[in-house]
Amino acid sequence: MGFLESFRQNFIEENRWQYLTDGLKTTLIITFFAVIIGMLLGFLVAIIRSTHLRTGKLLIPDLICRLYLTVIRGTPVVVQLLIIYFVIFASVPISKTFVAVIAFGINSGAYVAEIVRGGIMAVDIGQLEAGRSLGLNYRQTMISVIMPQALKTVLPALANEAIVLLKETSVAGYIAIADLTKGGDIIRSQTFSAFMPLIAVAVIYLVMVVLLTKLVNLLERRLASNDHR
Amino acid sequence: MITVKDLTMRFGDVTVLNGISEQIEKGEKVVIIGPSGSGKSTFLRCLNLTEKPTAGSIVFDGQELTGLHDRELNLIRRRMGMVFQHFNLFPHLTIRRNITLAPVKLGILTKEQADDRASELLKRVGLADKADAYPAQLSGGQKQRIAIARSLAMNPEVMLFDEPTSALDPEMVGEVLELMKQLAEDGMTMVVVTHEMGFAREVASRILFMADGKIMEQNSPAEFFSNPKSPRLKDFLSKVL
Repeated sequence: MGFLESFRQNFIEENRWQYLTDGLKTTLIITFFAVIIGMLLGFLVAIIRSTHLRTGKLLIPDLICRLYLTVIRGTPVVVQLLIIYFVIFASVPISKTFVAVIAFGINSGAYVAEIVRGGIMAVDIGQLEAGRSLGLNYRQTMISVIMPQALKTVLPALANEAIVLLKETSVAGYIAIADLTKGGDIIRSQTFSAFMPLIAVAVIYLVMVVLLTKLVNLLERRLASNDHR
Repeated sequence: MITVKDLTMRFGDVTVLNGISEQIEKGEKVVIIGPSGSGKSTFLRCLNLTEKPTAGSIVFDGQELTGLHDRELNLIRRRMGMVFQHFNLFPHLTIRRNITLAPVKLGILTKEQADDRASELLKRVGLADKADAYPAQLSGGQKQRIAIARSLAMNPEVMLFDEPTSALDPEMVGEVLELMKQLAEDGMTMVVVTHEMGFAREVASRILFMADGKIMEQNSPAEFFSNPKSPRLKDFLSKVL
């Protein structure tokens, strides 16, 4: 079977290309909302952790955060996804995509938290002391002095985390979500030819990752060019 | 104005401050000198509770500071300016915003009032043309003068200086000391940790010599340098003069 014939069979016949486009849409939806949840959760955890490290306050919330980080970073994301779907939401009729958003969001939050915490702790302690010496409280100093500096250093790393998440959602098929990867796999199971659909899937991921990475590099250069330090 | 009693500071097994009692009056210029590791910076940093002392009491304007809640402590800190060895300017803000940040955030001045105040202070420290620059564009001496202006924006009643010229290139020390001298002449109460003996001699109303977490000796500048009593101070002066 020639290349064109194989292409026609895998993508044109019975509109099989729609498995890929629909899958891509699902992948992007899951990634987009998981990134938002991950960022919110990650910043919250990072602020609790760094506040505890710097002031000794928030002992109990810090303990909870550390437990969360250990569990999430110590277990595979597929296992987390399966547990959230089959155990936690077992008896609740709920959208699978929603479950995936929650699972990947919670997973990503742990990595975001460590990135952001690193950024906060990397800001010189003298900045906090200077803010406090002027009479600003801890919160005001965090918001006006520490976070703007921390954010700038971690922005590229956060963007990379979002790119990693885009690839990690490829295991969504484990709970029978028809994401991009699953879409390619469905085509394979119908046409019994693996090369075309799977390479197509790989190429789509690759193109997205390369483009997004380019954007991050651009952002990084922009940040460096207006660096006042 | 500030009364310190039995101030003790321990980090683990190390005793940095060993029961210091001292009184600082309004309008005084107290200069603290001593070998490194003697606890002089820690003592200064305890005065506005940047460091929390292990034991002892600090009374500012009749109010005991140790044990105060953050909320009350923040109000006290507004009245005590602090200048750091490494300036600690906010690198992401312009010079003007460095100066106006605290007065505006704390609702003491409106943005317009604070901008006017910043211009006035910048003129006073001789850097009126730098309002829109960022800290990274300034020399060390200029940064420290801005840091002083930033403190002054809060109209403090006392200024604490933690080795303000130690991180500067030698040719920039003079401009910072000159500004501090002006402040002293204007009647500001000042507590200065420094290695600048010339400044101590010229500006101080009293010099404290610290070693091993204690105030070993104190005197007027003239007596301090010409007639040191303790062997530790004699030894120290023989090395630095």
